Amino acid sequence: MASNSRARGVDRRTLLKGMGAASAAGLVGFPAIVRAQAREIKIGSVQPMTGLLAVVGKTTRQANQLAVDHVNAEGGIKSMGGAKLVLVPGDHQYKPEVARAETERLMREGCHVLTGAFDSGSINAMIQVIKQSSNPIPFVIDIGSADQLTQQGVKYVFRVFTTNDTMGRRGIEYLMDLFKTSGDPCKRAVMFQVSDLFGQVGRERTMEWHKKLNAPFEVAEIITYPAGTQDLSTEVAKAKAAKPDLILAITRPNDAILLVQELYKQRLDVKAVVGPGNPGFYQPTFARALGKLAEHTMANAPWWNPKSALGQKVAADYEKRYGDPFTTESAWSYQGVRVIADILERAGTTDPDKFVEAARKTDIKEHVVSGGPIQFNEQGDNIGASSSMVQIREGRPRVIYPKEVAEIQPVYPIPKLWERG
Amino acid sequence: MALYLQAIVNGILIGGVYSLMAVGLSLIFGVMRVINFAHGDMMVWGMFLSFWLFTTLGVDPYLSILATGTAVFLLGAAVQRGLVSRILSAPHEMQILLMMGVALVLENVALMTWGPDPRRVNVSYGLTTFWLGPIVFDLPRLVTFGMALLLGLLLYLFLSRTDLGRMIRAASDNQTGALLVGTDILKVFTLAFGIGAACVGAAGSLMTPLLPFTPSSGILFTLTSFNIVIIGGMGNLLGAFVGGLLVGVSESLGAVLLVPSLKEIVGFVLLVLILLFRPQGLLGGRR
Repeated sequence: MASNSRARGVDRRTLLKGMGAASAAGLVGFPAIVRAQAREIKIGSVQPMTGLLAVVGKTTRQANQLAVDHVNAEGGIKSMGGAKLVLVPGDHQYKPEVARAETERLMREGCHVLTGAFDSGSINAMIQVIKQSSNPIPFVIDIGSADQLTQQGVKYVFRVFTTNDTMGRRGIEYLMDLFKTSGDPCKRAVMFQVSDLFGQVGRERTMEWHKKLNAPFEVAEIITYPAGTQDLSTEVAKAKAAKPDLILAITRPNDAILLVQELYKQRLDVKAVVGPGNPGFYQPTFARALGKLAEHTMANAPWWNPKSALGQKVAADYEKRYGDPFTTESAWSYQGVRVIADILERAGTTDPDKFVEAARKTDIKEHVVSGGPIQFNEQGDNIGASSSMVQIREGRPRVIYPKEVAEIQPVYPIPKLWERG
Repeated sequence: MALYLQAIVNGILIGGVYSLMAVGLSLIFGVMRVINFAHGDMMVWGMFLSFWLFTTLGVDPYLSILATGTAVFLLGAAVQRGLVSRILSAPHEMQILLMMGVALVLENVALMTWGPDPRRVNVSYGLTTFWLGPIVFDLPRLVTFGMALLLGLLLYLFLSRTDLGRMIRAASDNQTGALLVGTDILKVFTLAFGIGAACVGAAGSLMTPLLPFTPSSGILFTLTSFNIVIIGGMGNLLGAFVGGLLVGVSESLGAVLLVPSLKEIVGFVLLVLILLFRPQGLLGGRR
């Protein structure tokens, strides 16, 4: 393994020397060498496979794998002689220090590209490794929303996923439209927020856009609670005292279940329960665990595009193979690997600098995720990335916003939690 | 005012289960001077066993405590016999490492067996509530509290009224003395570890109608139990009970009076105060 990576390093250096010394004509020979060598392209997939986010890691890894299998079934990377993609697994455990060690290991084992990693804190640690390495490799973030990730001037980092800023904006826009069309707006919101980095950034962006867009409802109280809490009864009692008609909740998967359970028990009479840009409500486990109580809950999230033929096909494949509905995690982790394959196809080599060059020219019109064509800007963000609002209907999240891709009309105000039989 | 009353009610009800969790840890420490860092993971195993019995056979979690209690008893006894008994005389840090290792193994076997999804036991009465004026009582929480008290009482009677119980207490009070009068210390240790584990396994079952859980929930339960045991007094069972209620109520009130994200701090501030001013714990005796 180690010798493999050394061999690759020498190649790159030779290539760079070649670029410095020789004329453009001298370069022609090099891609041929690289092409002959890379029969197998290793993608390091760093996901939270154990720890508090394990439920997410399972999904993202499955989706990475599905995309790899699809690409290989279609004949691999054709410009590189049909080279096959191979997924090399890594587990960051929702701990930045582990993410760092795993990244170093994967680079040592000769991975050509990295993808991952859902948790912004862990992604940040991975970027630092690439930044400090004398042999950096490209990192295509499949999921990771904190705005600052791509703002560190590391040219090998690209992000397919939607930023917190875009999510915050869309969340408020969709809500305002929902209130306006219904003619029965919510006036008073209580926000629940899990107090980790993700929850904090999510709340800041949501509140920022709430203010900028002059949203016609007041956020009466913000209730933060510790990640991994075992009890939300008192928090909900506190929310109830504020008499809200809208619950905005920035949660993680487990506490989303706990929260809705308590809203029911304490009979909170609200017109909507909405996740303004976070996991929790749309995950299959939420509807499975809560049944009728999960119905009509809304979540704004970077989603998959149910109107695209490709999206429908991949969603069906995914569900058939893994038995879970296609969601944010599966869609974007799938797309992440497809973007890598697209770039490799155009670069015709695994050379990191050529990869970066090709990545800048990315323009993928047909894809499975929310938003427009996938194109990367200067700092490596996907300018097409957007989010959709979904509502749980009969146990499945269905798109209600934006209207162009909506599958179903929203139900609003939602039926009372305790009158659902 | 209603909000404060509500917070106190919630705190007492959740505190009852905290108590049962902590009693097991305290018992094991009291007898063997070993801190069971796999405590929360044993609880998670109890939860998953209950979940499994409920989904496959439809056994109510309040009934399945018999099965989970027994299963986790055996698990605890096996851990004691196979591992802990070998390092009883080793320094504390060795014991801690061993128990951390056991915790890791239990957590990851659970992850491999049941997967990472949060689970919830959907009993029909799981979301039943009733109101006393403005205060809401949640039925499963009340039943869980009652069962925790009952199990605590049974444990107390067992320890104070039966020969086996007396042997355990004797071994806990004075090992050499117990050996001198012919107590089979090895048996007592295995039994005590088993009972401690059974308590937390049963607490796990009782929690399933209240809480969603995942294989990685264990560490949080271990920390809470550990905190409670220190507050109550290491090895003191009544102390663990009082500590559980105290931590439950103070977290709940903390969520009302302070920012809820600081509520867990309240429990740990309590811990620091206890360590500073009453290091033996609230009800800790001579040691």
